[in-house]
Amino acid sequence: MKINFTEEQNIFREEVRSWLEVNVPKKSLLSLDTKEGFEQHREWEKTLNSGNWSMVTWPKEYGGRGLDLIRWLIFEEEYYRAEAPTRVNQNGVFLLGPTLMEFGTHEQKSKFLNAMATGDHIWSQGWSEPGAGSDMAAIRTTAVLEGDHYKINGQKTWSSRAAYADWTFGLFRTDLESERHRGLSFILVSLDTPGVTVRPIPQLDGEPGFAEIYFDDVIVPRENLLGEDGEGWKIAMATAGFERGLMLRSPARFQQTAAKLLKLYYKNKDQCSPMLQSKVVEAWAESESYALSIYHTASKMLAGGSIGSESSLGKIFWSELDHMMHQTALKILGASAELADSSEHDAAQWIKGFMFSYGGPIYAGTNEIQKNIIAERLLGLPK
Amino acid sequence: MNFNFTDEQLQFKNTVQSFLVDECSPDSIRDGWAAKKPFNHDRWNKIADLGVLSSNLPEKDGGFGIDQVALSLMIEEMGYAALPEPVAEQIFLINDLMPLLPDSIKGEIKNTYKTGSNFISVVHPLSPNPLFLNDAGGLLLFNEDSYQFALIEDIDFIPLVSNDPSRELSKINSIQKSVSSSEEFEKINSAVVARGALMTGCLLIGLAQKMLDLSSLYALDRTQFGKPIGSFQAIKHMLADVAVKIEFARPTIFRAAHSLLENNPKSALHCAHAKYMSAKAAELACKNSIQAHGAMGYTWEMDLHIFMRKAWSLMACWGNEDKQQDIIYKTLTSSEEELGVLYTF
Repeated sequence: MKINFTEEQNIFREEVRSWLEVNVPKKSLLSLDTKEGFEQHREWEKTLNSGNWSMVTWPKEYGGRGLDLIRWLIFEEEYYRAEAPTRVNQNGVFLLGPTLMEFGTHEQKSKFLNAMATGDHIWSQGWSEPGAGSDMAAIRTTAVLEGDHYKINGQKTWSSRAAYADWTFGLFRTDLESERHRGLSFILVSLDTPGVTVRPIPQLDGEPGFAEIYFDDVIVPRENLLGEDGEGWKIAMATAGFERGLMLRSPARFQQTAAKLLKLYYKNKDQCSPMLQSKVVEAWAESESYALSIYHTASKMLAGGSIGSESSLGKIFWSELDHMMHQTALKILGASAELADSSEHDAAQWIKGFMFSYGGPIYAGTNEIQKNIIAERLLGLPK
Repeated sequence: MNFNFTDEQLQFKNTVQSFLVDECSPDSIRDGWAAKKPFNHDRWNKIADLGVLSSNLPEKDGGFGIDQVALSLMIEEMGYAALPEPVAEQIFLINDLMPLLPDSIKGEIKNTYKTGSNFISVVHPLSPNPLFLNDAGGLLLFNEDSYQFALIEDIDFIPLVSNDPSRELSKINSIQKSVSSSEEFEKINSAVVARGALMTGCLLIGLAQKMLDLSSLYALDRTQFGKPIGSFQAIKHMLADVAVKIEFARPTIFRAAHSLLENNPKSALHCAHAKYMSAKAAELACKNSIQAHGAMGYTWEMDLHIFMRKAWSLMACWGNEDKQQDIIYKTLTSSEEELGVLYTF
């Protein structure tokens, strides 16, 4: 065990930092859940790609740099430190990307990873349906194989980023006789395809961060199937693992929030009780613990290990932490905590983050589902 | 950057783990309670024979020179077994502190060992009631601005009753003769505070894991409404919450140990962090474990309380959660600019 950065890792950090210093937009972008803001964020993805920073862990031939997970964590640290824009393509680069890497054919990887890296394909998620939320095996949207294509009918909902995205990935029932986890397949669908209707759903902040997607005899080429027909559940579980784990929620964002929270408290401490001080310490302690744990996990993976159900532990931890930190910030703000457009103490940003933090325990599989997974797969309790 | 343990670091952990499975069963702990003699000399001597008591002494002193990371892994196992003997105290608070102590006191301690005793107890304002004085050769005592060493025969003490019958405590009335020093007091004091925090943190993680394991087994075994209670989500979620707390506390103890090893200027902060996270994990483990056991958990007969009692004691001494929080807050606000992602390692 040697938990210090090597000389090479520090040089890499410098390289990331210098590039971000020059390239991160000085003026913050509009919200990515508005049409104009979405396109601004797409531009940023293109800028990132021009510097070869779309996804440092991907092989070079797919637009990456072929670097290891420690470098990825360093990149993220610098990214959050520079307050660079949110990745509008996080569904693509953090979730579908690693899934394609594991299950995709060479042709699929070349086509989709490169277009993802360039920002030409921005992805949405197509898991949930009106009757299939936590119970994802209840999916009913069908994809029937007819020669060289699938014909899709049904409806997805709460599809993140679908309001403005180009593509969606998700699970579809390809075996109509099947039940539950069997007979599902993982298919990629262009949202431009005739028969697709997207109806944006305004979220808690009033912006359409997700949408309903209706499929009406939508024809999708057979080569958009990822993995084998009927293997969808297994592949989806791998994707969900990435989402819960160190890809989508690397520690840097929480450490930056904790640092900001401590500063906010320090400036306002004369109006606060010691109870809030205790919460602020908890925020630092937990975000620091999360970082240590992720470096621990990354080290294990580099030594040939893999993460399975452990990612459920992390998902609960970061989502509860994020909510606690924002709740604490609002308490420090006192009566200003309702001023939705106030720039004083970044109140508006804290409020937006506060609302967003309610989503954490819900998306990527609710925390209740994660607790079932932990109990059954890690603690050995019965179904 | 590599957070994996070396085989060498894991070696002592594995030895101690299998030794304690055989030699430190809950029944053997209960025997010590019944005899009002929780310190089992037979077991202590076997542990000494394994080389554990000298594991972190330099090779020239007959030790194996293992580092603090290896110690932490090993001490976690002692927590898991609720080992009554103060092995962790001896190796972490005495052996590991020795190189920092002035020659006068170091000499006294070494002379004490020559008389056949191989345990030195410690008193500190954060842990004011020393363990097992009846079994100790001497006492290292920390005051507000100095520290001293006394032989047991020069100390007048009376017994105190711990809520954990595995811990024989005393109150010091007076000390007739001692060697005292204030040389580098700040440095030595903060070293013992950090080690006390980390040592109790390691033990607490082991204890928390043991309580979780006991509860999972009980939830599989106990049937109500015609099913194992572990199939109910109310029980699953309680135990999953404990698993989450343990998962994110464990790396903090290894980071703190690594900081001691590297003489990291932030080791005091890192040790406080480790104790803070471990105490919180152990606290929830106690609460949810007894709840998962239902009325059985509230009985003397069930082994759960052997581990719970030790956890309660260790949460309280060497700085409880509140004290650690204070250390963390003061450290963070004394260097406000050093916050955020760049200061983890």
